[in-house]
Amino acid sequence: MAKEVVETTEQNEDSNISPSGLRVFWIEILRDKLALGSLIFFVLVTLTVFIGSALLDLDEITKIDPLSRFLPPSSEHILGTDTGGREIFGQLIYGTRNSLVIGILVTAMSGTIGVLVGLVSGYFGGHTDNVLMRVLDFFLILPFLMIVIIFVSLVPKYTITSFSLIMTAFLWMGIARLVRSKALQERELDYVNASKTLGTSNITIMFSHVFPNITSIIIVNMTLSLASNIGIESGLSFLGFGFPESTPSLGTLLSYATNPTTLEKRWWVWAPAAILILLLMLSVRNVGEALKRAADAQQRRGT
Amino acid sequence: MKSNKFYKLLVAMLLVLTLALVACGSDDEGDAEGTDDTSKSEENGEDDGEDTEEPVDKGEEILSQFQYDPSNTGEPIEGGHLTFGLVDDDPFEGTLNFNFYSGAPDAEVLNWFDESLLSVDGDFLYDQEGAATWEHDDSGKVFTLTIRDEVNWHDGEPVTAEDWEFAHEVIGHEDYTGPRFDETLRNVEGIEEYNKGEADDISGIEVIDDKTLEITYKEATPSLLAGGIWSYALPKHIFGDMEVADMDSSDEVRKNPIGIGPYKVETIVPGESVTYTKNEDYWRGEPALDEVTLKVIATSSVSQAISTGEVDIVNDFPADQYPDNEDLSNVEFLAAYDNYFSYLGFKLGEWDFDEGHVVENRDTPLQDKALRQAMAMAIDGDIIGEQFYHGLRWEANSIIDPGHRLYHDPTWEGYEYDPDAAIALLEEAGYERGDDDFFTDLDGNEMSFNFIAQAGGEVAEPLAELQIQMWEAIGVNVELYNDKLYQFNDFYDRVGNGDEEDDPNVDIFGGAWSTGSDVDPSGLYGKNVRFNFARWDNEESQDLLQAALSEEAFDLDFRKEAYKDWHDLMVEEVPVFPLNFGLEIVPVNKRVVGYSLDPDSDLFRYDIGVTEEEPQVD
Repeated sequence: MAKEVVETTEQNEDSNISPSGLRVFWIEILRDKLALGSLIFFVLVTLTVFIGSALLDLDEITKIDPLSRFLPPSSEHILGTDTGGREIFGQLIYGTRNSLVIGILVTAMSGTIGVLVGLVSGYFGGHTDNVLMRVLDFFLILPFLMIVIIFVSLVPKYTITSFSLIMTAFLWMGIARLVRSKALQERELDYVNASKTLGTSNITIMFSHVFPNITSIIIVNMTLSLASNIGIESGLSFLGFGFPESTPSLGTLLSYATNPTTLEKRWWVWAPAAILILLLMLSVRNVGEALKRAADAQQRRGT
Repeated sequence: MKSNKFYKLLVAMLLVLTLALVACGSDDEGDAEGTDDTSKSEENGEDDGEDTEEPVDKGEEILSQFQYDPSNTGEPIEGGHLTFGLVDDDPFEGTLNFNFYSGAPDAEVLNWFDESLLSVDGDFLYDQEGAATWEHDDSGKVFTLTIRDEVNWHDGEPVTAEDWEFAHEVIGHEDYTGPRFDETLRNVEGIEEYNKGEADDISGIEVIDDKTLEITYKEATPSLLAGGIWSYALPKHIFGDMEVADMDSSDEVRKNPIGIGPYKVETIVPGESVTYTKNEDYWRGEPALDEVTLKVIATSSVSQAISTGEVDIVNDFPADQYPDNEDLSNVEFLAAYDNYFSYLGFKLGEWDFDEGHVVENRDTPLQDKALRQAMAMAIDGDIIGEQFYHGLRWEANSIIDPGHRLYHDPTWEGYEYDPDAAIALLEEAGYERGDDDFFTDLDGNEMSFNFIAQAGGEVAEPLAELQIQMWEAIGVNVELYNDKLYQFNDFYDRVGNGDEEDDPNVDIFGGAWSTGSDVDPSGLYGKNVRFNFARWDNEESQDLLQAALSEEAFDLDFRKEAYKDWHDLMVEEVPVFPLNFGLEIVPVNKRVVGYSLDPDSDLFRYDIGVTEEEPQVD
């Protein structure tokens, strides 16, 4: 504790110049080797899976080969095969891509909704705020998992889009609350009042004046929630409520580990997926943490 | 011994779930071609014996790797205690009386403390070894049943002919809610009238004296001798004053059940475990163990439980865990034919709820039997058995499973895996390939089918996909219905066992039955049975099945011939086609003696004993 205080003091001494905008984030990441490494790893994985899934033939990956079930890694099967004789490697590529796409989509959509609701609610306050927040409360108390599971059983076929939409419906509340509380603060500030006096429209004030002032916190929050959203698809697939088993998914690979024999003796089936999920979420989180520090001048390491 | 076929089938369906059986598939062509397909004359339709010249019965070959009996032949010790594992992922229901229960797990619990009054031999025919003996008159309709004098209930009261009659009266009563009042029992003369309240008692049942009962049946069929007699008495001195509707929820069924078997129920932890103590008064003699504990073991912990000696025997061992456990030093794996077959079927019609029979009216390309035949040829049951069930299952040649030794015949020809012939057959029948290289229907429209498969274990999904691939390989476009597997209940609702219409979008389904003691398949393929999921209506089939149940069919050769003809008809018509037969595998701790899976064994449950105080551990 004491040490941190010291560090903080030092940093404050260093930071004579105060760079603004996204540069702060970038500088912070460069300063934090862990975050930098994480970012590089994340970008590499993302590129690999997107390029890889474009090159690999999905039909080939999902083709059952009864004669090569549970083969350990070898030169022929880089990461071995699963219970249906399918390559783990190909499934890993496709599964990761699906998880990433869903994670990014859900984050983007829930971020958009959350920011809109939060801004409107916080900026106008009063009755608008009250109504919107009660709606938000309503969504908050819904049993999220249960509804998603019912949805999944009811909808005959679902796609990445419909899956992301249903997830989004339950994940926009956090960011909306955050943005609202920030907007509530901002609207009391002089620049807002000044703009109003000058006759600027509410919409312009909200999006051109208030919004830029809270972007940093939004970016930080969305990055951190990206980390958990990447895991959402895997979690549901693990429980058997994600994508159909024939769609490659990290969660499906993981769920093979519920068979004690596979858990003990066929590590190649589940371990790569487990490690990949862990690393992906950690790396996004590391970056998010760095951004979080960057957003708070007191905690910055970089200048 | 068993009487309720209907129920058994349900059990079968339950088994299906737990066993994860389902469908079959075939595999990638390269490999299949590699194996030598020497038109083996028969045998279970197996085709892999590359170098054997003699046709080999594959089932027999697989079974011969196992023993029926444990190698341990020592003398059981006094005061032994055995633990029995009931493999089930759910708690058992706890309706502990043969007259009321409905789940297979409950039957496992029941078997330790109650038993049928009539015993059956290895061919599921009644013999005279049970607690009662029987004889019938020349017409084959009137049975005289005599209970042995030494047979008593656990509370010391003798089992009487009245108890037996009482069981019939309860099951036939209009307030009875259990699943036992089925076709078999309806064969008792006068029971329908009694059921409708038109008669005060069942005219076909007569108590001659304390120990003798005479039952008259409406029709004499060979099925009567294969489980056609209701053989579980119900103690009238306990249930006599109870309302029939309250019986199955009474403490006498749920908490303090009573029977005539070798062990008595000591304590029950509902859904989890039961402890039994020795019934010194057991009519066959003194049981070998002092105490038995039955506990429910989850599928995922079975191998753990047997290797640590936590349980000595289990009722059913998951085939997919066998290879990793076969080398356990403390147990021995025994096996016998499972009374089971898995199959794939085609939906051809619907169920008429008003009339209570099937109507084969669906407008589908599957009405063309050439297409169905080709699809049957496209599936390789052997590769599934070998690769997904570790050789413990093999391709079935017919619907009559090898457990029914009198009727099963490995030389009957079913469909051999032959994708080239399947394609040739389709082309000959006038099918042409469309732009996507799949066959179109006879009018040139795109043809695609929905295949519904059951969830269950991690092999279910790859198996379903594999079968679809096999059909794809002959150019028939099949898709997994809604891209997912269906859970047991949902699956059977859609296939046609629910209260509602069959799902009209399902074209092909994969299921399995465990078969009852009677070989008669009319409970599965008759016109007026719900289990005829294919909704296949064929007069010739009705006639043949009827013939096999006629009085003439008391002649074994005649009956077998009828089933052979019926088999040939099934092969020709293919409303469903069999996929796999299998073995049941039972791991037994090496201290256990007196246990046998041999259908002809003369060991009974009371013979089971242990030769050491403590179970062996791996």
